[in-house]
Amino acid sequence: MFLSKDRIGGALLLLFCITYALLIRDIRLLPFQANASFTARTMPEVLSVLGVGLSLWIILLPANRDKPVFTGYKWTTSILFLVLMSVYGLTIRYLGFIFSTSAFLMIGFALLGERKPLTIILAAVPLVFLFWLMMSKGLNIYLAPLPEFFGLGR
Amino acid sequence: MLEGIIIGLTTAITPMNLVFVIVGCLVGTFIGMLPGLGPMSAIALMIPIAASLEPSAGIILMAAVYYGAIFGGSTSSILINAPGVASTVATSFDGYPMAKAGKAGKALAIAAYSSFSGGVIAALFLIIAAPFLASVSLSFQSTDYFALMVLGLVSVAAFAGSGGVVKALLMTVIGLMLSTVGTDQTQGIPRFTLGMIDLIDGISFLLLVMATFALSEALMAILKPKNDEDRMKEKDASQNLGSMAVSKEEVQEMVPVIGRSSVLGFLVGVLPGAGATIASFLAYGTEQRIAGAKKGAEFGKGSVRGLSAPETANNAAATGSFVPLLTLGIPGSGTTAIMLGALIGYGIQPGPRLYIDQPEVFWSVIVSMWIGNIVLLILNLPLIPYIARVLAIPSRFLLPFILFFSLIGVYFVSFNTFDIQLMVIFAIAAVTLRLLDFPMAPMILGFILGGMMEENLRRALLINNDSWSFLWERELTLIILGLAVAALFVPVIVPFVRRYKKQAEKAGDNE
Repeated sequence: MFLSKDRIGGALLLLFCITYALLIRDIRLLPFQANASFTARTMPEVLSVLGVGLSLWIILLPANRDKPVFTGYKWTTSILFLVLMSVYGLTIRYLGFIFSTSAFLMIGFALLGERKPLTIILAAVPLVFLFWLMMSKGLNIYLAPLPEFFGLGR
Repeated sequence: MLEGIIIGLTTAITPMNLVFVIVGCLVGTFIGMLPGLGPMSAIALMIPIAASLEPSAGIILMAAVYYGAIFGGSTSSILINAPGVASTVATSFDGYPMAKAGKAGKALAIAAYSSFSGGVIAALFLIIAAPFLASVSLSFQSTDYFALMVLGLVSVAAFAGSGGVVKALLMTVIGLMLSTVGTDQTQGIPRFTLGMIDLIDGISFLLLVMATFALSEALMAILKPKNDEDRMKEKDASQNLGSMAVSKEEVQEMVPVIGRSSVLGFLVGVLPGAGATIASFLAYGTEQRIAGAKKGAEFGKGSVRGLSAPETANNAAATGSFVPLLTLGIPGSGTTAIMLGALIGYGIQPGPRLYIDQPEVFWSVIVSMWIGNIVLLILNLPLIPYIARVLAIPSRFLLPFILFFSLIGVYFVSFNTFDIQLMVIFAIAAVTLRLLDFPMAPMILGFILGGMMEENLRRALLINNDSWSFLWERELTLIILGLAVAALFVPVIVPFVRRYKKQAEKAGDNE
């Protein structure tokens, strides 16, 4: 199989290693380091050579020629979860811990197939509230519980 | 040594630390039992909590979680034939057939007694070996440490199995590359920050571990959910365990197996890179060979020996893997690499000086291993019928919680929402690479050792007037590097030699 798992992985990592190698040029060296044998660039240079070499080895001499299988996976649900996590990161401050986390969990349960609204709410909100209580009152970790625009969160 | 044990006991047996051991074992068992989540994810999830504790307590908590997770992994292997981690795969060979024959309780008890014995015996070996190795390694220089790190990284790749060596090496290099992101430690020059202030301090170790293990495990479970039949199996298994009694004959059968497998497991665990998986398979194979024709034939069908051997060996190896971590500061496995990261987070540098400078940390870890194993036996075993009910919790509720704990664990440390976005990016990369069968553990090991490796290399060059000759002039460095080269090439060359021999024999037969 030409496009085997190893080759695809090798190609992706080769791309990463080449980008890494190109970014080495952005590391500024101090004037007196011109002839030094070890600078901030030395290790990255060695690593980029090793990385490119090993990626090429995997691409040219793959040990595993299995074809990647893309069917049978729940791609849409997984992508929605990635979006959900990212949105959670963006809203945790703005909406407050209790609101954003409850929403994150409730949408998560629903995405994975839970259909009863009461179960969804009961499985998320009380636990999130308890967690917030434990963190803020028990461990003294301050987390704004409510949205900023309520004016109560801080 | 006795003084050390007393120091360890006084540190570990404080009421608070005992609570941490008990809670750690229970939480570890709970997490380890969830198929897909192994000791690495369990420890990673504990780091934010451990970070708020004092070093001894934090390490005790993580060590307890580690043992608990291994024990939990064995439980899911036995009950539902779903090993959470590779090190408990061999456990399922005989544990699952035993459970299918209605002896799940007995299988769990045998596994618990074997794990306990393996852990306790190996902790005894650790007490003898660690101080000795620590005193020897006091004479090590930067050049030797650099060579040792190369050996550690190469060994992990070398044990990756046929076909996986190059991939493991590449992943190690990727981990080393990620460790160079951020401000250069000695010269203060920013590297690979892409102009982002959030990357000035580099990538957080916790973030990388959580994203590549906990998050990606949960995402993989979402990507490929279990079918209804498997779910029913899990529900049934968690409810019908049967008796936990072990007969006198079975104990007699287990005792010599435990003795052999403890020694084997510990020795394999000490080797950097080998770890619990290889130890469990080696012990299983060894016992099968020496069991004789009659008993050997029972292997794979619910043999007491076949269950006891890998369980003893994987726990003994888990203890053995602490030897290079505590004495040389070099982790021998992905799990101990995470522990090393946590220790560095506390400002503790594991290595030979740890034994002298912070004996309370060194000894309390060792003593907590005994306490942890006792807790696992007397507390977790009777509780197993209740803990096993975790297997019946529907994944549609469990998975969003795992994702939440992973994200919030990292957020609690930095309070920077950029970290959550970075985790999502790393999780995408980790899932992609997992789907393509690229291993993650070597990357974490590379990431953890990267900074230290660069620092030691820089120091070695400084001491040697910018000359690379230290690589071959200092005997110890040369020997360690020679071992690294051997570790790298032996697994590659041996199959070629075997194939050549086979071809030669074939040619001989034809003539």
